[in-house]
This record gives sequence, C-alpha cells and structure tokens, in this order.
Amino acid sequence: MKVTLISIPVRDQEKALKFYTEKLGFIKKKDQPLGGGNRWLTVVSAEWQDGPELLLEPGPNHFEPCKVYQDALMEAGYPYTQFDVNDVDAEHERLTKLGVEFSVKPTIMGTVKFAVFNDTCGNNIQIVETL
Amino acid sequence: MTFYEKELNKLRNIVYSNQEQVNTVIGIRNYIETNYEVNLNLDALSHIQLVSKYHLLRLFKKYYGLTPRQYLIDTRIEKSKKHLIDGMSVTETCLAVGFESLGSFSTLFKTKIGKSPSEFQKEQLSRSKIDLKFRT
Repeated sequence: MKVTLISIPVRDQEKALKFYTEKLGFIKKKDQPLGGGNRWLTVVSAEWQDGPELLLEPGPNHFEPCKVYQDALMEAGYPYTQFDVNDVDAEHERLTKLGVEFSVKPTIMGTVKFAVFNDTCGNNIQIVETL
Repeated sequence: MTFYEKELNKLRNIVYSNQEQVNTVIGIRNYIETNYEVNLNLDALSHIQLVSKYHLLRLFKKYYGLTPRQYLIDTRIEKSKKHLIDGMSVTETCLAVGFESLGSFSTLFKTKIGKSPSEFQKEQLSRSKIDLKFRT
C-alpha cells in the first residue's frame, strides 16, 4: 500500500484551486469532471511533483457532518493539516504580502517552528519547519 | 487565544519543558545537516555536545522520533536525490553524500524511494527532457 492522496474539504473548488496554486504555489495535477459541477481536483507540491496529491474535495457541500467538523476545527483554530516548509518566517512574510491571514504567527515550540493561516476555503493550515 | 493555542501551550509544558535538552538535540541535528557527508557516528556526535552517547541517542529519539543514524541516512538520501537530478553519476553521488559502499547506498535508496538510484535518475532526466520539449 502507498500513501498518495490527502483530502482537504473545500467549499468552493475553483476558489480553492486559485488559492492553492496562486498563493501557496502548488501545481494542478488532475482535473476530472464528476457531474453536478463537482471535480476530481488534485494539486501537488511544485518541488515534489511525485509526492502525495492534495485532493480539493467539495465534501462540506454534500455531506453535512463534514461541514460541521470543518466548522468546529475552524472555530477552535485547529489546523486541518500541515505542510513542511524550509523557512516558516520567509513563508509567513511571502504569504502575508499576498493577503493570506495568519491566526498564529511564526512560533517556536521545542524543535519546531510553525504558523497557522486561513486557506479561505474553510480550513486552518499549519506550516512547519523542523529546527 | 484559540482553543488550539491553549492545547499547544499545555503540550509545550509537557514535552518541551527542558530547554537545555532541546538546545542539545537542535545542535546535533544542525551538525548532521551540515556534516552529513563525512563519517559521522554516535561517538563523534556525543563528543560535540559533551553528552554520553546513550543519553544522546535517547534524547534525539525523544525529540525527533528517529535515531541520529536514521536521521543521517534520511538526510543523505534526500541530498543524493538532488545530485542525481543534477546528473551526477551514481558512484559519485554515493561518495558525495557520505556513503562508503555503493551496495548499501543502492539498497537504502531503493528501500526509501522505491526505485534504484539509476532508475530514479533515468526517470528524472527523461522527465526534464519532456518538460523542455513541451515548453519550447
């Protein structure tokens, strides 16, 4: 078995695609129509295109518990998932300039530095640098 | 402060309360990151931070979830991918990242990456050619 896919719930796939490619710098990998305006839409990390695909999944629009869970995480400030970066401070500065909002500014905790931002699609996302 | 931040603060007090230990393991990790290509072993690492090697082994595993040796191997394999993509030969790559035997490098590479160094290189090089073709 191989881990190749991570799903992220989003409210608006087109908006999510824009955010994840234009702001975060991911690259679109698959975009397949699934009927009803839904798509099998995945992006990959630009520097690791063989790595796992991120599925921008419109779950909250079709399955109420998914929406409830996503809202609860957002309200508690919990990240839905996290991405590794080389330099949290540099990413924080770059993304802030692009208008991305951070709920946790770069913070050191033991052997990691992290920050949390809003992906505008219903999720908090954490970026992490190992110290 | 969000609920998440409150929970993190609790965790910080449980896991990272000993700053001296944290500084020690960060020092060791940085040393591995900058000296991965030389013959590193637990004796050398413990000498640098002036702690006993078994204590160091336990500390590193406690904070990074891996032994220093496993971390060193992962670092070397990651660096070797860059060399291979840049077109360096498999033997040169093996020596450049600090492995002494081509056999153990190839075996570790295959276990970690899922293909041999030469297969990986061939794939990457043909991909960059295709990219070039589509861009022009």
